[in-house]
Amino acid sequence: MELNTRVDNEIVLMQKKKNFKKRRDTWLLLIPTLAIFLFFFLLPLFFLFVTSFKTFDAGTGIGNQWTLANYIQFLSDPFYISVLWRTIKIGLITTIITIIISYPVAYQITKAKPRMKNYLTLLVLSPLLISMVIRCYGWVILLSNNGVINQTLMTTGLINEPAPLLYSEFSVIVGMVHVLFPYMVLSIMGALERIDPSIIRASKNLGASNLRTFVSIVLPLTLPGIFAGSVMVFSLSVSSFVTPSILGGPQVKVMSYITYEQVAVMMNWPYGGAIGFLLILVATITILIYSKVLSKSEKGVAIQ
Amino acid sequence: MGYLRINNLVKTFNRTEVVKDLTLEISKGELISFLGPSGCGKTTTLNMIAGFLDVDGGRIEVDGQAVHLLPANKREMGMVFQNYALFPHMTVFDNIAYGLKLRKVSKVEAKKRVLEALDMVRLAGYEKRYPKELSGGQQQRVSLARALVIKPKVLLLDEPLSNLDAKLRQEMREEIVDIQKQVGITTIFVTHDQEEALAISDRIAVMYEGRIEQVDDPITIYNQPKTDFVSQFIGEVNKIQGVVVGGENGNESRVNFYGDEQLLPFQLRTNEKLDFFVRPEKIVITQKHEGEGFQSIVMKKMFLGAKTRYFLKVEDKDLIADIPNTALNPHSIIEGSKVQTFWQAEDILPSRNVR
Repeated sequence: MELNTRVDNEIVLMQKKKNFKKRRDTWLLLIPTLAIFLFFFLLPLFFLFVTSFKTFDAGTGIGNQWTLANYIQFLSDPFYISVLWRTIKIGLITTIITIIISYPVAYQITKAKPRMKNYLTLLVLSPLLISMVIRCYGWVILLSNNGVINQTLMTTGLINEPAPLLYSEFSVIVGMVHVLFPYMVLSIMGALERIDPSIIRASKNLGASNLRTFVSIVLPLTLPGIFAGSVMVFSLSVSSFVTPSILGGPQVKVMSYITYEQVAVMMNWPYGGAIGFLLILVATITILIYSKVLSKSEKGVAIQ
Repeated sequence: MGYLRINNLVKTFNRTEVVKDLTLEISKGELISFLGPSGCGKTTTLNMIAGFLDVDGGRIEVDGQAVHLLPANKREMGMVFQNYALFPHMTVFDNIAYGLKLRKVSKVEAKKRVLEALDMVRLAGYEKRYPKELSGGQQQRVSLARALVIKPKVLLLDEPLSNLDAKLRQEMREEIVDIQKQVGITTIFVTHDQEEALAISDRIAVMYEGRIEQVDDPITIYNQPKTDFVSQFIGEVNKIQGVVVGGENGNESRVNFYGDEQLLPFQLRTNEKLDFFVRPEKIVITQKHEGEGFQSIVMKKMFLGAKTRYFLKVEDKDLIADIPNTALNPHSIIEGSKVQTFWQAEDILPSRNVR
C-alpha cells in the first residue's frame, strides 16, 4: 500500500518534470523571435510614442517639455486630416480591388493540375521578385504624359491631350494593387484549398447551381482567407512609402510621406512620431471595424 | 420493371476503362449494394449516377426518364458522403434546410420537415449545433437527414460507415436499413465491406475491374457464387485441386481429391485438373481414420469463441477448417495429429476458369 503511493508520487513528479521541460523547450524556441520583436520593434515603438508627447526643439530635435500639441496640431489642421483620409481611402480601394481581381485567380489556381499550379503560383508571386523601385518606374514609363498609354490613345485619336494618369491617386492605387495582390491571392488560395471537395458536391447534389453553391458555401468558407489577405494588403498599403512617392509624388501626399518629411527634412521627431502613431491607431481601428462587419455577415466563420 | 436503369455504362480515365459496359436494373424501394475491392469502379459508377462525373457511354434512367445528361443539381438524388460533407458554417438545422430552401419550400413547411427528419435520425434537439460540435455518428445522421429531407428519387450512400468505429458502424447500418425501409426509398449503398453488404442488402452487385460479376440476394451470392472472383471475394474460401476421373451419367462427375473419390453434381470433363472452392465452415474433420474423405495433419489451431479454426495440411496444400466447438471439443485434437477430412458434395464448387 505504502509502496504503491510512493510509486504513484514518483510518477506524478516525473510527469511534472516532463511538462516543465516541454514548456521550457517551447519558450527556448521562441526566444530569438521574441528578442527581435521586443528590442527592434516594441521598444523603438515605445520610445516613438514617448517622443510624440515631447515639444520640438530646433537644436536637438526633441525638446524637454511634455505636450499634447503635436496631436492637436494634426487633428485641427484640415490639410493633415485630408492626408489621413486619402491614405485610408487608397488603402481601402486597393484592398477592395485586390479582393476582386485575386479571387478568380486564386480559384483557378486551386483548380489547376499540380504542375500547372506551381507555375501559376510562381507567376502570381513574380511581382514580389522585382525591386519595388524598378517596378514603380515601369509604371511611370507606362502612365506618364508621353508614356505608352497616352501615346497610343493620342495617335489613335481617342484623346487630344495626354490624360493625367501619373501623379494621381489612380496611379498610386495601380502600383499598390500590382505589388500587393499576391498576398491576397495566397491567402484566398489557402482558404479555398481547405474546402473539402465533397462539400461542393453535397451542395450541388441538394439542388444548388454553381452560382448558388459559390454564394452559399464557397464564399462564406473563404471569408477568413479574404480577411487575412485584407489585413495584410490594407496595412501594407497605408504604410507604404516607395510606391506613393514615385507614382504619386508631392501631389498625392500620404501619411508615410509626411512622416518622412517631418522626421528627415524638418527634423521634427515629436511631430513625426505623432503622425506615425495616429496612422497605426487609425489602421488598427479600420481593421477592427472591418472584422466586425465580416463576422456579422456570416456568423459561422468564427466557428470555422 | 426497373425504377433505376443503368444501360451499357462506360467511363474512361486516361484511356483505361474503369467502368466497362455496366448494365443493371434496380426496382423501386430496393436497397442494393455495390461491393468490390478498391478500384473496382463502384464509386465511379455512383458518381456517374449522382452526376458528379460525365458518362462516356450508355445511359441512366430514373422512373423512365433519362438523367445521365442532366447536371448533378437537377437529378433529385440524395447523397450521403463518406466524410459526411456537412457545411461547417451552418447549424444542423440550416444544413438540413439547405435543400428545402433551394426548392422554395415555405419557411413553416421547411421547419416542420427539418424537425421531422431530425426526429427520424434520433437527433431531435440538436438543430442549433454546428457540425464541429457533433460526433462522427451524429454527423453522419445529419448527413442522412439532409439527403432524405428533400424526398429524393434515389438515395446514394458512398461508404457511409467507413469512418466510424466498429461498434457504431453496426448500430448505424441497422439504423440506415430501418430508415430506408420506413421511407421506402430506392437506395444504392457502396461499400468494400462484405459483411456490411451481406447484412443489409436486398441484393448485392459484386464488382470487379469495372464489371458486375454477379447480382443476387446475399444468400445466393454467398452460397452460389457464379464466378471465381465472387467465390474468393465473398467470405473465406479454400482453393483445392481435384482431378476428374470420370462422369457417371449426364450431370454427375467423379473427382479425386488427395486420393479420395467423390461424386459431384456437376458435368465435368474427364481427366481434367480443376480448382474447386470450399468454405472453411463446410469442412468437417473427425478423429476417425476411415470412411469418406482423406487424411490431413493439424498444423495449428486457433480458439475463436464459438468456433475453432484448424490449419490443416494435406500433401503440400494448406486448408482452413472452422469447426463449431459444439461439434468437436477443441481440447481433443492436438497439433500434429492426423484427422479425417471431408465435405458434402453440395458444399464444393468447381472453378469456372472465367479469366
